[in-house]
Amino acid sequence: MGAVRYLYVRTFVNRVRKALRRPGTYVHLVILGFYIFALPFSLKMVTEQAGMDSPQGMAAVLTVYALWVIPANLIAYARRKGLVYRKSDVHFLFPSPVSPKSVLLYAHLKTLTLQLMLNLCVLVFGRMTFSVELWRLCLYFLFSVVVHNLLEGSIMMLLYGSEKLGERQRGMVVKATYGLAGLLVLMALYACLKEGFSWQMLKDFLHSDMVQLVPVAGWYGAVVHLLFTGPTTVNLICTGAYVLLLVVLAAAAWRMNCTGAYYEDAIKFSEDYEEILESRRQGSMGKRPGRRQKVRKAGVRWRGKGAAALFYRQLLEYKKSRFFIFDGGSLASAIAGVGLAWLPIGENSFVLPGASVYVIFIFTALTGKWRKELKSPYTYLIPDTAFRKLLFATAIQHVQGLVNACLFILPGAVAMGLAPDITLLCLLFFVLFSANKLYALAMAEAAGGSTLGRTGKQFLQMLFQSVAIMAAVAGAWAGFAAGGIRAAHVLMNVCLGLVTLIFMIIAMMNFYKMETA
Amino acid sequence: MLEVMELSKKYGKNLAADKVGFTVPDGKTGILLGPNGAGKSTVIKSIAGLLNYKGTVRIQGMDSRTQEAKRQFAYVPELPYMYEALTVREHLEFITRAYGVEVSREELLELLEIFELKDKQEKLGGELSKGMMQKVSICCALAIRPRVILLDEPMVGLDPGAIKELKAQLLKRRADGCTILISTHMLEMVKELWDVTFVMDKGKILGTYARESLGNEDLEELYFSVTGQQEGVGQRGQSGQENRAVESSGNGGPEGRER
Repeated sequence: MGAVRYLYVRTFVNRVRKALRRPGTYVHLVILGFYIFALPFSLKMVTEQAGMDSPQGMAAVLTVYALWVIPANLIAYARRKGLVYRKSDVHFLFPSPVSPKSVLLYAHLKTLTLQLMLNLCVLVFGRMTFSVELWRLCLYFLFSVVVHNLLEGSIMMLLYGSEKLGERQRGMVVKATYGLAGLLVLMALYACLKEGFSWQMLKDFLHSDMVQLVPVAGWYGAVVHLLFTGPTTVNLICTGAYVLLLVVLAAAAWRMNCTGAYYEDAIKFSEDYEEILESRRQGSMGKRPGRRQKVRKAGVRWRGKGAAALFYRQLLEYKKSRFFIFDGGSLASAIAGVGLAWLPIGENSFVLPGASVYVIFIFTALTGKWRKELKSPYTYLIPDTAFRKLLFATAIQHVQGLVNACLFILPGAVAMGLAPDITLLCLLFFVLFSANKLYALAMAEAAGGSTLGRTGKQFLQMLFQSVAIMAAVAGAWAGFAAGGIRAAHVLMNVCLGLVTLIFMIIAMMNFYKMETA
Repeated sequence: MLEVMELSKKYGKNLAADKVGFTVPDGKTGILLGPNGAGKSTVIKSIAGLLNYKGTVRIQGMDSRTQEAKRQFAYVPELPYMYEALTVREHLEFITRAYGVEVSREELLELLEIFELKDKQEKLGGELSKGMMQKVSICCALAIRPRVILLDEPMVGLDPGAIKELKAQLLKRRADGCTILISTHMLEMVKELWDVTFVMDKGKILGTYARESLGNEDLEELYFSVTGQQEGVGQRGQSGQENRAVESSGNGGPEGRER
């Protein structure tokens, strides 16, 4: 067995073995299985309503995929990005006598398992949602996994590994691909202006000959149309062009000379990639590959002693960052808030706290800087109490919670015409529930320690928060029974506040010694 | 033999290596010295084929980019990175396949025994401490029986026992005719290993010094006098070039000093 194949197979086998030893894997598999079998049924209704529950609908969806993914991949390869090498590859594989072309293929094939799984999903969806015949789906599976992979692998090798193409020529490929994408957008706009936007217009556009005539991505669409909707003159010609392109590019890639000049760019991308992974583990979501985070000049007036330093250091970091304390969560809250105001939600003031619970419980990450403090030994060396350390390490997170609360609650409250005191109570609920999630996470960290994995800790956190939700609901019922809507809002906040306070006290354990973190 | 000729490397406008040249003959150990930012890592990574550069690097007379040259060459980077999902034994298996070397199970076990890794064979790369990773990295480099070994700060993270064993292994390989190049700041650690020293600063080779021509002079003293840094103080002292005639060209050989 060749070295690269050995590496690929052993890595896969060991990963599977390791995953099978984790209980979380089985939970994930159950959830995944549920989605794979439940989603096609629910999508069936949507596609029926849109009149897309046919092989033609499947061809349209796969054409959208091709128009979106193929140009993006072309651009990534031409920029020598998109192939993920780990630092271990740089250590062992790059200096070794393994052919640099094999090293390229190895990176490309790393995604093979994922591709197989996605294509299996396409099989299931195709049969259950779009009612496509099985033999057509099997043909598509072979086309996607074997034929298209060969074409994409050849393109990747020629763009990424070629030593004849200079930076200028690769830049021209990027520009040409953007040009092609621009052309597609113009074609879509033209169709839209001519016929007015509608589902039918969109479908007609995706089935149109002019889309199938677009090189590479359009030709992929032509093959898909040939497979699912039958032959036409245009899709036969474009399929022929696709096959010809595959033969020419595969031959060129086979003959191409490659000594590994791409290693330097690959190392740079791998370093950026690992940096992003690390920063995400630390809770920072703002980093993007190949781009240095812009840091502004800023200062802060340090006040207080001991653990207060944690707060001011975080404040300084936020002041230096481009968007201050605003992040993706703020944007999502604003969009969700406007969306909620736009929906016909009636006048029930409990809709807003209910939506807050849904959004925070399911979607909000709350990784933030507080988690980073737990990884730093200096946090534990600061001569201060664990309570103050927790308070100051998480203080800015609560301010973020308030900002997100305003963005999420206020549009809906205005649209519903809620009284100011009820609006304030809804805002308070959002902030309290955000804090509750934060402390539930911290409790899960303390309880799970190093014995539970990320999934296990997430389940613990959800369990803790379920208790908080039940307490809030009980408070709301009691308040409603005692004195109406206002009392219900007040008691709901009081109960949630008390549970959150208990969570906070337990979460303090994290700050006693590093071992619990 | 390792030959580096007119090696230049630019990062944007910054010239990290400027026409660097040196030769380490068969059966000799070269030491690459220089302060932080001198360009040592750039030179090492260029030799290992990880960077694009101008100039020529030859391994056993072959262009270092060819697969034949790479088969003769082992590299121990400063920071080891393991495959998280490969065991220690699988790392060795993988590397011997990659280099096309037939190594018996006994030989591999002996190597693991020397570096106290025999009981860690089934541990995954992601479960190892930094010191263990460095040992695996060294074992992988030695397992392929290279003719040229490049080691970047190999002693960092190793326990005293492993340092002793590494030195013994390097001396043994040198005696077998292997060419060794070590980049290090730990001058004490390479005292008994070196045959020729290349001192670098600001991307250039300031001088090349053969052991036999230095007499009793200490490597540390030589380093401070050549770089102009003051021992223990870290201030710029009298320039080395004022004290001795040091050749700053890139064609240093191991023949002697003050050339």
